[in-house]
Amino acid sequence: MNIANIKCVSSITILSVLLIIAILLATGTGAMHMSPLQVLAILLDKAGIHLPVAYEENMPGVLWMIRLPRVMLGALIGAGLGVAGASLQGLFRNPLADPGLIGISSGASMAAVVMIIVQNALPVFEQAPALNFYALNLAAFGGAIITTLFIFRIARTGGQAAISTMLLAGIAVRALCESVTGLMTYLANNEQLRSITFWSLGSLGGASWQTVSGVAPFIIIPLIMLPRLAPALNLLALGEREAMHSGVRVPRLKSLLVIFATMAVAAGVAVAGVIGFIGLIVPHIVRQFTGPDYRILIPGAALSGAVLLTVADLLCRTIVAPAELPVGIITAVLGAPFFLWLIIKEKRTILA
Amino acid sequence: MMLYVKDISLSLGKIKILQGVSLEAAAGELCVIMGANGAGKSTLLKVIAGEYMQYQGSVMIGEKELKTLPVAAQARTRAVLSQQLTLNQPFTVTEVVSMGRYIYNAHLSATDKEIITYALKVMQIQNLRDRTYLTLSGGQKQRVQMARVLAQLLEAPDLQATDYTGRKMLLLDEPVTGMDILHQQLSLQLASTLAASGVLVVAVLHDFQLAAAYASRLLMLKDGRVYAQGTVEEIFTSAHIKNCFGVDVSVLEHPHCHYPLVVTAAAGGLFQSPAQKALKVM
Repeated sequence: MNIANIKCVSSITILSVLLIIAILLATGTGAMHMSPLQVLAILLDKAGIHLPVAYEENMPGVLWMIRLPRVMLGALIGAGLGVAGASLQGLFRNPLADPGLIGISSGASMAAVVMIIVQNALPVFEQAPALNFYALNLAAFGGAIITTLFIFRIARTGGQAAISTMLLAGIAVRALCESVTGLMTYLANNEQLRSITFWSLGSLGGASWQTVSGVAPFIIIPLIMLPRLAPALNLLALGEREAMHSGVRVPRLKSLLVIFATMAVAAGVAVAGVIGFIGLIVPHIVRQFTGPDYRILIPGAALSGAVLLTVADLLCRTIVAPAELPVGIITAVLGAPFFLWLIIKEKRTILA
Repeated sequence: MMLYVKDISLSLGKIKILQGVSLEAAAGELCVIMGANGAGKSTLLKVIAGEYMQYQGSVMIGEKELKTLPVAAQARTRAVLSQQLTLNQPFTVTEVVSMGRYIYNAHLSATDKEIITYALKVMQIQNLRDRTYLTLSGGQKQRVQMARVLAQLLEAPDLQATDYTGRKMLLLDEPVTGMDILHQQLSLQLASTLAASGVLVVAVLHDFQLAAAYASRLLMLKDGRVYAQGTVEEIFTSAHIKNCFGVDVSVLEHPHCHYPLVVTAAAGGLFQSPAQKALKVM
């Protein structure tokens, strides 16, 4: 038990330090370069602590208004995707489970894409651009919740959600959502196509303090609640029956997991589009170092998800500067080969 | 009465699995359920374990009807070792055994840790404590699961110190599958020590010798009904066994053995007929 505690504390500490470094680097990098020390000085100035580091006059403005909200948004969404992935893998007792799998992401993006097309047809939206922005976010959020509830409802028999049914229903619903998205793409004009592309590839370009504060509660609640479910998730690894025999209220646990995972993912999709692979890859990476204990895995996945998306976003806005790549492309390019490597490695250990 | 099963029936789909099964067992008994494959042994155990809430009839645990007991209260009263456990994540042995304490504390107290260490010791798996569960053999895995169930049942790191009469129940579904002869004996000795401390143990077994040596009461099921119920001497007759299992056996007494021995050979033909003839293979 002591070894496990040490492992827990040390991995959380290392990941926290990594996250702070990633945030300082990411906030400092861009058209106007700031060193990590300068970033730190500017941040601490707000708190009333003055470091003896010189920075230019316009730096605080850029940092507070442009860089920081974007980095914070990335860290939040990444953390949300990480915990959602870890919890869903526990729920499905399958390390290949992913927020995309049970239709959360595709439902959200379908609703957003439909909204993009509908917005042009309705004059109400042209008169109020703010409404435009929120309608899109709300649609994505609603789409995610509705698809998840729909799938959960289908899988529910006699008060229990059958996991295999849920996976199959997820695949079907996902195909359906993607066909609707495809149809909308076909109907779209040039300008709408650009918006749709943004949505399906994911980008943090729309970040502001407004979006951060809009998303934060929906991600912070799962970040607080999911670690509390970790001991029960460990038991779920033994099987639903054994979890029940050991005193876990399994139907309640499953409902809570789905609700919190959907909250975290949907909030992210609503403001940044579909960012793939983080929910799938992050729990895998963390598991390599910490083992399968969800009490470490869930906080570890939150921190690693935040680090990964912060770094991915940093890459996507610096590689082709001053232009930007959609961050979903970066996460897929980094994530897919890594995932293949994991599968091959796992195959070897099974054979060995 | 610790367990009072009255006239329960259960259908899964259109198939009737259990029909009018009744069973009474007091605290401190070691009750063994036997029967051919598909006779309904595991299903009966699962009903008592709270897995099939759609049963007809009544299952009372202590003074309460099973259907009214919340999951947490059930887990405090009753530990269950099921068949065919599928754990596919690389938890260590200690982590798996610690899961047995979930119902008491999400974070392990000093007593919890002592109980876990004790359960590891009783099942002789201290040397495996840091091994990954996935790398163990079938029998070792079974011992780890037994230790987990023991950790859930115990209130103190000692088998005899606490009186569990009327408060604890242990359900074992073919607990010795895959174990070597030493650990088979060890597991059942453990079960009877627990019974001596007041725990009601209900076990499904296939081995006649183990059942005869350890059971204080036997329940023989046939086609979802109770075929016979009573002591080992009452139930282990060649007629009962022939009717339930379709095998010719002889029930022998041996001067060095306090329980009857069941061997597969027709009566009278013991030394002339090899065991195959009793089964009429081909």
